[in-house]
Amino acid sequence: MSTKAQVTITKAGGGFLASSIVLVTGTLLLVRFGPGNMGKGFAVGGAAALIVFAFAVWRVARRPTDASSFEHSFTGVGDERDRRVAEKASAVVGLVSIPATGVAAVAVAMEASADVVLAVLLFGLIAVAVVSEIGAARRS
Amino acid sequence: MRNEIRRLREECGLSQGSLGAELGVSRQTVNSLETGRYDPSLPLAFTVARFFGLSIEEIFHVD
Repeated sequence: MSTKAQVTITKAGGGFLASSIVLVTGTLLLVRFGPGNMGKGFAVGGAAALIVFAFAVWRVARRPTDASSFEHSFTGVGDERDRRVAEKASAVVGLVSIPATGVAAVAVAMEASADVVLAVLLFGLIAVAVVSEIGAARRS
Repeated sequence: MRNEIRRLREECGLSQGSLGAELGVSRQTVNSLETGRYDPSLPLAFTVARFFGLSIEEIFHVD
């Protein structure tokens, strides 16, 4: 295994450990104090993110030349272009989130289910993040 | 901004991946530089120039 791959895995191990602690703590708190199935939802969402992270680490460590900008950034080994792509994608998400939150607030005020509105808002912003990341990576 | 990276790389007989490894960037970044889709930071431009033993002005040209 190359030194670069070892550094990637070491960095990722630290990130994975810290994320796991946040996931377990958050899940325990939400199961105890959160409404409905929020704890379970948090656990499933967090576990999915950790699986994606582990997959990205595996790809970056195995074949760094084939890994995408997102995978480089997500695993903390991105170069300046990867960081710029991530910044552009984050900027788009930030811009979209302001009117989207306003629309969500209006929907809740018009007696739409807050649970549904929040879920749509969350998954909508995740979709915007994915599309903007792909778009920024293609243009940069 | 146009640049001479592809020509210089091919003259050195390097792949995009190996040039990226020398410069400390990914293969995709070298590809983006060569196609002009990404303009490098000043530190990266200096790294490229030093690697090829040329000045920045000899490698990068403003359109």
